Amino acid sequence: MNTRLWVSWLCVMIVACGSLLVAAVAEDPPATEAQRAYEIKATILCPVCDGQNVLESNAPVATAIRAQVDELVEQGRSDEEIRAWMARQYGSDVNAIPPRTGIASLVWIVPVFVAVVSIGALVFAFVRWRAGRELEVSDEDLRIVRALREKK
Amino acid sequence: MTAFLGTVGVGLGLVGAIGGAATLAMALFSRRREHHRRVFWWVGAMTAGCVLAVLAMEVGLLRDDFSMQYVAANSTRATPWLYKIATLWGALEGSLLLWALVLSGYVTAVSISFRRRIEDRLVAWALLTMLAVCVFFFGLLAAPADPFGTLLVAPLDGDGLNPLLRNHPLMAIHPVMLYLGYVGFTVPFGFAVAALITGRVGEGWLVTTRVWTLIAWGSLTVGILLGAWWSYEVLGWGGYWAWDPVENASLLPWLTGTAFLHSVIVQERRGMLRVWNLSLLLATFALTIFGTFLTRSGVIDSVHEFSASSLGPLLLGLFAAILVVSVALIGWRGDQLRSPGSIDSPVSREGAFLANNLLFTLFAFIVLLGTVFPLIVEAINNDQLAVGRPYFDRMLLPLGVALLLVMGIAPLLTWRSTSAHLLGNRALGPAALGALTMAAAVWLGAEGFGPVLGIGLGGFVIGSAVRHLVLTARRQGWRAATGRAGGGMVAHIGVSLLAFGFIASTSFSEEGEFQLRPGEVGSVAGHQIRFVQLTDEMDGPNRVVRAQIEVEGRGIYAPAITQYPTFGRPIATPSVATSLVDDVYLSLVAIPEENSDVVVVRVLVEPLVGWIWVGGFVIAAGTVLAIVPERRKRHSEMEDIVA
Repeated sequence: MNTRLWVSWLCVMIVACGSLLVAAVAEDPPATEAQRAYEIKATILCPVCDGQNVLESNAPVATAIRAQVDELVEQGRSDEEIRAWMARQYGSDVNAIPPRTGIASLVWIVPVFVAVVSIGALVFAFVRWRAGRELEVSDEDLRIVRALREKK
Repeated sequence: MTAFLGTVGVGLGLVGAIGGAATLAMALFSRRREHHRRVFWWVGAMTAGCVLAVLAMEVGLLRDDFSMQYVAANSTRATPWLYKIATLWGALEGSLLLWALVLSGYVTAVSISFRRRIEDRLVAWALLTMLAVCVFFFGLLAAPADPFGTLLVAPLDGDGLNPLLRNHPLMAIHPVMLYLGYVGFTVPFGFAVAALITGRVGEGWLVTTRVWTLIAWGSLTVGILLGAWWSYEVLGWGGYWAWDPVENASLLPWLTGTAFLHSVIVQERRGMLRVWNLSLLLATFALTIFGTFLTRSGVIDSVHEFSASSLGPLLLGLFAAILVVSVALIGWRGDQLRSPGSIDSPVSREGAFLANNLLFTLFAFIVLLGTVFPLIVEAINNDQLAVGRPYFDRMLLPLGVALLLVMGIAPLLTWRSTSAHLLGNRALGPAALGALTMAAAVWLGAEGFGPVLGIGLGGFVIGSAVRHLVLTARRQGWRAATGRAGGGMVAHIGVSLLAFGFIASTSFSEEGEFQLRPGEVGSVAGHQIRFVQLTDEMDGPNRVVRAQIEVEGRGIYAPAITQYPTFGRPIATPSVATSLVDDVYLSLVAIPEENSDVVVVRVLVEPLVGWIWVGGFVIAAGTVLAIVPERRKRHSEMEDIVA
């Protein structure tokens, strides 16, 4: 590659990485209690409305859960404790995040496994294609190519 | 009388489908070519019957014929005429009637389009397969999901649909577009089965079905996005996609269909991936049936759920039959499907298509797993658990980012293999655009590594698509945007716009909830809203409470909340102050208390939501452009070598 291309790419990379760095630093972790409560509410489903979390739902029980989360956060309970409390109170299917233990953990593991296997299969296919690439050219092939060239 | 005509229509449809399938089957086995043409009469009868049935239902709905069970259960006198028409697809039986209508329409279109080739065994087998699917759906309408049941005593008024389904005109279009897409995949499915049966598994059938696949894919894309738009405008939670099982069911065939549209290019160009492409098509069709099973069997909880019915086992049976037939056919033709070619280098156009396919199928797999996982766990050990949005976000967002990257690189690569130097040269412009997009986003206040990376990649994709279009336009002028490559690049630009809207609206939205008296002001993300006044009216039997709210610089908006007598919880109807920069989304949280003029308003400020709909429009335009044939004749592989 020539120098100008290198320099141009360097500039592009500096702008890109600089932007990403600024963006990553600017995002502060949820520090205040209100932010923590907000994040928890976003992962608890409203028990009576299909698929909405308690932040989005106006159902009375969602309003009640929001208040309970605020209270539990104020008491200084950890995220896990609050989630467990909600599961006891309203059933384990209010937790929008499937647990990472027991049979439920499969929903996290299986996709990773499938991804690894399929990438492996693709790599294997490329290796095999590469090995079989030296195709033999028969006299017949050469004749066809020559005939086509002459036609041109 | 109307119901009777409807029943006659369904009967005629069923007879037409059976007769057509039997005629073709006999013609194929007896190898009497002149008999093939008789199928057109049967197809005509089937379609006429279906049209008659649909007209009968519409007449019943528009004339408030409550002696018809379906009308009494799903319509009311007070329903506006547009929603009366749309009630046809508002409930289980009617929606299957629409399905049958769209399917008959496709079969008729295929018959007309291939009328001169009907003696071709490939076309005959394809039509036979499609007619077999018709037999199944007309069979459902004839017995287990009969839309034309009657009541001995007609009630004075009907019950009406869920009010959510009759307060926005999008409800009239979204299901129709979705069905055009869903059902449209029956056509390429038919040809895929025909190719396997006749053993003509070369590239011919692919070229034949290209337009049909594109029409189905484009309609499905538009249908899904219209559904998202409807959800945004109507449901009042401020989002447009919830990873709800039924949304997932519509997305699954879209994902495999998109993978197919891309990998088929490798087959047409290089003659490879035959088994893979066939499998993708068969899977796409199977997934549309599986999605229908999920929606209509009552096995899952969802806002889209139709009333629980006995159709579940039948649809599951069809799904299983499709799977068995597909696997058996591919196994049977295994030898002929093996293709001699090879892919030389992963850094090549075909390598990028493979990466695309890997990502799309993985995406589809995760969506499928997340959707059915709660059912599996419940079946195994009776545990109730939910797989919600946080799961899909965490698993799929990285895949989305990877897809954007591949989308940007692929148009820059050449076939066979690409040198680092060439790629470095070609990618510089698009990469610079991507970097500048990131810098601009950060300057405008975007935060977070993931969102900004996604936005930058969106810029990169636009850069590489525009590069392709501009270079082609030098030779071909405006026709550069037509054909598969040109239309595809336009669609890529649409996907980027959609990605910008998705990323910005999910990552940078802000919200607030205010209790306001008339004249009081609240503020979210630099937007001031002022509560002007409350109106509380009766609209027929329904109590509608409307709050006039002024959004600074945008005018007055009126989110409402309605109490329907036949429906428990009050339904909030949001109001959205839209602009290309951001949407101010207003919704009322509850019906205000008696004698109080305090309203509780939820305000969401979501940047760039409008870009999602614009992006969808651009994708649709790209699909239409892709159907326009290219002027330049495709180089054959041989010509490439000789040149």
